[in-house]
Formats: sequence, structure tokens, C-alpha cells
Amino acid sequence: MELRRYITGRLMQITLIFFVILTVLFLLFRLAPGDPVTRMVDPDMTQEDSDRLIAELGLDQPLGVQYVIYVKNFFMGRFGYSFHYGEPVVDIIWSRLPNTVLLFTTSIILSALVGIFLGKIASWHKGKKLDSFMTLGALVTHTLFLPWLALLLIWVFAYKLGWFPITGMISEEVWLDPESGFVAKALDVMYHMVLPLSTLFLIHFGAYLLIMRSSMLETLKEDYILTARAKGLEEKTIRNHHAAPNAALPVVTSIGLSLAFSINGGALTETVFTWPGIGRELVSAVSQNDYPLAQASFLLIAIVVLLSNLVVDVLYAYLDPRIRY
Amino acid sequence: MRQNRFAVKSFACRAVLLFVFVMVLGSGIHLTTSTASAGKLLKIGMLEEPKSLNIWRASDRWSSKVLGLIYQSLYIRDPKTLELVPWLAESDPVFDAATLSYTVKLRPAKWSDGTEFTSEDVAFTGDFIKEFKVPRFYSKWKFVKKIETPDKHTVRFYLKKPEAIFITRSLATPIAQKKEWMKVTEEARTKEKPLSWLMNHRVKAPVGTGPFFLKEWRRGAYLFLQKNEHFFGSGKEINGYLLGPYINGMILKVYGTSDAAILAIQKGSIDMFWWGVQPGYIDSLKQNSKIDLFTNEKSALYYMGFNVRKAPFNDPNLRRAFATLVDEDFIIKRILQGFGVRMYSIIPPGNTFWYCPDVPRYGDGLGREGRIKKAVQILRDAGYTWQISPVEPSGKIVNGQGIMLPDGKLMEKFTILTPPADYDPHRAMCGMMMQEWLRMVGIPAYSKPMAFGALLQQIKVRRDFDTFILGYGNLSLDPDYLRNFFISTNNKRRGWNMSGYDNPAFDKIANESADAMNREERKKLIWEMQKIIIRDVPYIPLYNPKLIEAVRKGTFTGWVQMLGGVGNMWSFCQLKPK
Repeated sequence: MELRRYITGRLMQITLIFFVILTVLFLLFRLAPGDPVTRMVDPDMTQEDSDRLIAELGLDQPLGVQYVIYVKNFFMGRFGYSFHYGEPVVDIIWSRLPNTVLLFTTSIILSALVGIFLGKIASWHKGKKLDSFMTLGALVTHTLFLPWLALLLIWVFAYKLGWFPITGMISEEVWLDPESGFVAKALDVMYHMVLPLSTLFLIHFGAYLLIMRSSMLETLKEDYILTARAKGLEEKTIRNHHAAPNAALPVVTSIGLSLAFSINGGALTETVFTWPGIGRELVSAVSQNDYPLAQASFLLIAIVVLLSNLVVDVLYAYLDPRIRY
Repeated sequence: MRQNRFAVKSFACRAVLLFVFVMVLGSGIHLTTSTASAGKLLKIGMLEEPKSLNIWRASDRWSSKVLGLIYQSLYIRDPKTLELVPWLAESDPVFDAATLSYTVKLRPAKWSDGTEFTSEDVAFTGDFIKEFKVPRFYSKWKFVKKIETPDKHTVRFYLKKPEAIFITRSLATPIAQKKEWMKVTEEARTKEKPLSWLMNHRVKAPVGTGPFFLKEWRRGAYLFLQKNEHFFGSGKEINGYLLGPYINGMILKVYGTSDAAILAIQKGSIDMFWWGVQPGYIDSLKQNSKIDLFTNEKSALYYMGFNVRKAPFNDPNLRRAFATLVDEDFIIKRILQGFGVRMYSIIPPGNTFWYCPDVPRYGDGLGREGRIKKAVQILRDAGYTWQISPVEPSGKIVNGQGIMLPDGKLMEKFTILTPPADYDPHRAMCGMMMQEWLRMVGIPAYSKPMAFGALLQQIKVRRDFDTFILGYGNLSLDPDYLRNFFISTNNKRRGWNMSGYDNPAFDKIANESADAMNREERKKLIWEMQKIIIRDVPYIPLYNPKLIEAVRKGTFTGWVQMLGGVGNMWSFCQLKPK
């Protein structure tokens, strides 16, 4: 009952926050200098053409009128057409989103699994060479400049060794071949994922390792660990079944939020690897003043992040019986 | 509970192992397939994919490149002379002065869907543009009074008044298929905003008369253009070229960055990179024996502009002094690393017919000291003074300070707006160099890089600026833009006369040039316009970068070089696999 009341309260908060985001997004894009028509540096685009396009896009209307139309359209589920693609914004987002989710969600899950596992080992060997090696390794990879690492991997594994494709998500050789079935195409995508996934994995697993290690070290000081040892339980059992599940709670929060943010992709990763995801599209939309596309993308991210926060909070209560709302 | 956890862990380990296994398997399959499917397909690397395949919307260069292979015009440019030659038209247009009309005979041709190309399609395209006032096209068609189609292969255009750009611009408009667009047009007429509706119309499979048609588009990955079996030029000799295409098609692959595309061409994943190679890559590409580099001029203009609406930039003497201080040779040698052409006029020298070489050349052949002395002389003669003169009575050059305008007031600090270095390092660097050169004579210039959208807003819309550095990377070969850039009627919000130049004498000649139907007569007027502009310097032409393109040796032969590079219609109709 209390949990239901808590969720209802949070949902009301989320609605309010979302409305603020909706308004801020509208204002941010309209107040930023530039508009989608002025950017067209084409001498064939006359002043009359520009004025006509501005009117067609509705950008000649007063800001208040534009805002009312924007809010009305949002609640009617009409996100409009991209100024640059001339296609419904929803279609563009839905065509890019699965690519982003595939790459980034896989990378987060993989990084978290490995990070938690290694963090557990590192904490168990605190102060020893293995711990120093893992901690240092995590710090180094986590602080690497992503585009540099990505280009390095491309240069070594794609260009020099030729093991993987340089960029992209699919090979035309496979997709144009009428004999290629679903499995061949799926494998082709996975093959193209190796380098971007490795880049993201190397950047992210260190964070999970460090969080897990630190949390484990705290947990190992708890009385119930001492009790377990006093009971004569095996060290491995104490580590894996008494300490690790409790220490993993902060990592769960981190994973939850990372998964939520994964839908905005990563403009850098997607650009370097020419991964056709939402991150690249978002940056392009913002830089080219493509208001409908940028707004809809940000709103989608806002919704997912707000709801994920709620889910993580509820999950936390489920995982940790001490937490009650 | 314990068993469950063990099972979960075991499952996770297996999942990771399976994932790695699948990836390795995937690489094996990929290698097998890629070896097996090599054929007569030309693979081209692009930086981005087209934004739209709707010819009326497509304004980005990637859409233009792709659609340029599908939609064709009546006339195109000869690669050597740059003159217009008949393409979908069979012969040159015939002008009838009495009726102010042009008659064009059409070649027998078919659309990529196999239907016949007729004069109805041409008339439909022109009427469509006029009816909906399609941006970027309407200015080239608004003076066409009516279009007649006496027969299936003849089209006659009646003009409201003489217009020089009719042949060079209007007749170079891509022709759309009436059958494809008729229904869309009828529906558009019923909409509240017909133009928006038309421009948002999604074209999945454009029907054209070009040598290729779109077979498949995998978003974010590649476009597959297949050879058009109905292409009117196949097996025919047009303009001295026996046309193909001799390839089965082309794959246009998307690479997000130049780095990736350059690696791809070096590795052999693509046969051509359809974009200018940055000077930084050239040495490594030259060392690769499997790469050919083509260098061509562009029809481009990069320049410094002044806001001549306000003091002190409304003084032509000050602008001439600026022009004298600019060392274009330094810009080309150091900033462009030698890959550029010096611009003396607004029209690039590669556009040989219209380019006027006989314009004032400020500071030409002078060293830094010589430029400073000459600039100081121009300013002194115009009444400018200094607190510390940059040229001492002995002729020694020192750092000038406190330049004062002819009215005795100290010149205030001003900005040179440039795009940021991540958008265009050359223009950003030019701004910084200009700042230093001007400061040497005590002119308080400050280079200010600004986000591109904001920069254009400031210059074109708000018109709140002092000076700026901008450029056009792909100017039309018809010089009508010269009129657009400087005629006083375009000195308005969002107009192309960004400097605010206002000279009735120029306006008169510019308008005459627009009406001049005789080419030689028009050339004289265009030359005169160039002389006036370079004399008054609302713009200082800075440079025209050369276009360097990389192709693989040994895969395809028959590249045709022309202004604008080897990625042109003639090349794609000539290329043969080795």
C-alpha cells in the first residue's frame, strides 16, 4: 500500500518535471541563435525562398503561438516532420533507436558483468599485486579518450590486421546477397559490433569494477561477514554469497541509469564507427537547428530517464529489505 | 537458492562465450561472402548519406550527389570547355526573338521504369516549380510565361522578358517524371500548406532518366545504385564520349569521418572517396602505390566581407588597405599547404569564360614590409593618422598603435567573425592571420570564431557585425551570383547582399547583365561588374581551395577530370573495370 502511494507520488513528480523539460526544450532551441533556413548557404536560395520556407515551417509565428502548437501537438502524439529529412520525426527515431539500444545496452551489460566480477576479485585481494593491477587497469581504461581509443582499435584491428571492418553496422556484400538469410545478417551485425563494443567495454567496465570493489570493501567490514567467518564458512562462499550480493546494490543503481541513458547513444562512438544510431542524429539535429527531431529525441530520453529512476528506486527496495517507502 | 545463483552465473559465462564465438563465426562468414561477391560494382565512400530523395527538398550536397545520377537535365557542362552541351536535349535551343521563346528538341529517352520520356515531363517540371514556388528553383523559372509541347519531342518556353540565366540555369534543372509526381501534385493542391506537404513527400524509389537508379538504401550503411538499362546515352557518342555505363552499378558507402574513409580506400574497401582529401592525408596517400590522386579546381569562393552599412567600413580606402595587407600567397602556402588557387576576383579563375583577370591586384608581389607601407600610404592619403605610426619617417617598420579615423576619432575595436576551427580550420586560421596583419598597422582587429548557425544569423538575419570570413564551396558556373551578392535590392534581411553594398552604377550594369541574351555582351558586363567590386572591395577574395580526390589504382579506368572533381556524370558513364 505504502509502495503504491510512493509510486503515485513519484509519477506526479515525474509529470511535473516532464512538463518543465518540455518547456525548457522548446525555449532552448528557439532562443539559440540560428534557424534551419539561414543555414542553407546556397545562393540559389533567394530571400523570398527563405521567407516562404520560414512561413511553411511555422517559424514566422510569435513564440507564444509556436509554444501552444508545440504542446498541443505533443499531447496529440504529433511530433512533426524533420526540417532536414522531410520525414516524420517518429519514423527517424524508430529507425535509429534499435541500433543504439543494441550496441549500448550490450556494452553496458557486458561491462557490468565483467566489472562486477573483477571488482569482487580485486576487493578480495586488497593490497596485493592483483588488486593494484586491476585497479590501475580500470583507472587507465576508464579515463582513456574515447575517440582516440576507437581510432586506435580501428587502425590496429581493422586497418593493419584486417580482422574487422573499419566502420559501419553491416556489409553490403552480405546484405545484397540474396542467399544471405537471417542468421548470416545477424552474424554480420555482430561482427561489425566487435570494435565499437570493445571500445565501449574498455571505457566502461572500469567504472563498474571500481564501484564494486569499493562497495565490497565496505561490506567486508560488516558484522555479518565476521559472523559468517566465525561460523566457519568457506571464504569463497562468504565472498560470493554473503558479501557480493549486498555490495552489488550501488552497481544496480548505476546500471539502471546507464541503461536509461543508453538510448541517447554516444555521439562520439557512433560518429567514429559510423554506427547509425540516435546519438549521431541528435548531434546533427541540434547543430542544424532541426527543432522537431532534436526536441522529440530529447523528450524520449527524458521520459526514459525519469521512468528508469522510478524503476531503480522500486528495485532497490525489492533488493534491500532495509529500504521501505 | 545457492544452486540458482550458480546456474545464473554459469548462464552468464556461457552467454559471454557464445557471444564471442558468434562474433568469430560472423567474421568468418563475412570474409567468405566478401570474396565471393566482388563484381563490376564501383564502391564509393561518402561522409554522410542523403538527407532526402525528394528532389524538391534535397538541398544537402550528399542528396545532390546521389540524385544527380538519377535525375537529369536538358543540358549539362562539357568537362573540358565547361560549355553547356545537349544531354536530354538533342540540340542547342533555338531562340525566336519575335515571340521571346526557346524551342528545345528532345532526345528519344526512357525513364528508369521503362516509360517514355516526353516533352510533357519537361513542361510538367517547369509548371510544377512555378505553381508551388519551389525554393532554390523558382528564381530560375519565375520569368517563364508558358511552356508548350508541340509534339512529344519538342518543348517551347515563352519568357516574360529576356533572361540570361534561362539557358544556363533553367535548362539545367533536373527533370522530374510527370507520372510519378502528378498524383502527388493533385493531393498537394488540397492541403493547407501545399509546399510543405510536397517537400515532406517521401520518395523511396526516385524515377529518373540517368545512368543509374536506386535499387536499395540501407539507412546509415549504403545505397546501391544499379545500372539503368533504359539510359538514353548507353552506347551513344555524346559530346565525343562513348557512353556506358560500363559498370553494373555503384555502392555508396557511408563513413562518418574522413579518417575512416581514408583508411577504407587505403585498405581497398572502396574504389573512390567522393570528397576532398584534407591536405594532412595527402603525404600518406602519395606513398601508397595503389592510390591515384586527382587535383582539380573548384568553383568556390572564400572571402572576407565588410559591413559597409556602417563606419568605418563604409570607407573604400580602409577596405583597400585591408586588401593590401592580406597575403593570399601566405594563406595558400601555409594554411592550405599549397592546395589552393589565388583569387583576384569574385569569380574563380577556373571559370575561364566569365573570370576577369583585369581587376586591381592589391599588394600583389609585395612582401610584408611592402604591404604595410602601401596600406599605410592608402590610409594616410585618405586622412587616417596614428598615435604611433607603423612606418617611421626613416621607412622603418614598427608596431603601429592608435589608428585614428579621418574625423580624428580613435578606431574602435572590431571583430572578424569566422566559423570555428572544428567546422573549417582554414577560415578560422585566416581570421587569426588577418587579425595579426591588421594589428601590425595598429588596426584593432579581433578574430572571433562563432558557431556556424549563429554566425549566419548574425550576418544574414541580424546584420549586426563588422567583418566576417565566409565562403561558397560550390558556386554555379553561371556568374549571376555576382549580381545576387552585391545588388542593392538584395540588401535586406536574409538577402544575399550581406555586406550591404549599395552602388547604383553597379545595380544598373547588374540588371543589364541579367537581361543580356548575347553571351559576349553579357561577358563584357560581368567583367565590368567584377572590376567595380574589386575596386570597391565589399569582399576581399581570399582563396579557392583545390579539390584533391583519391581513387584506387587498378580497379577502374576512365576517370574524367573537370572543374569540381572526377565525381561527375562523364566519369560514371565512362568508367570501365580493369
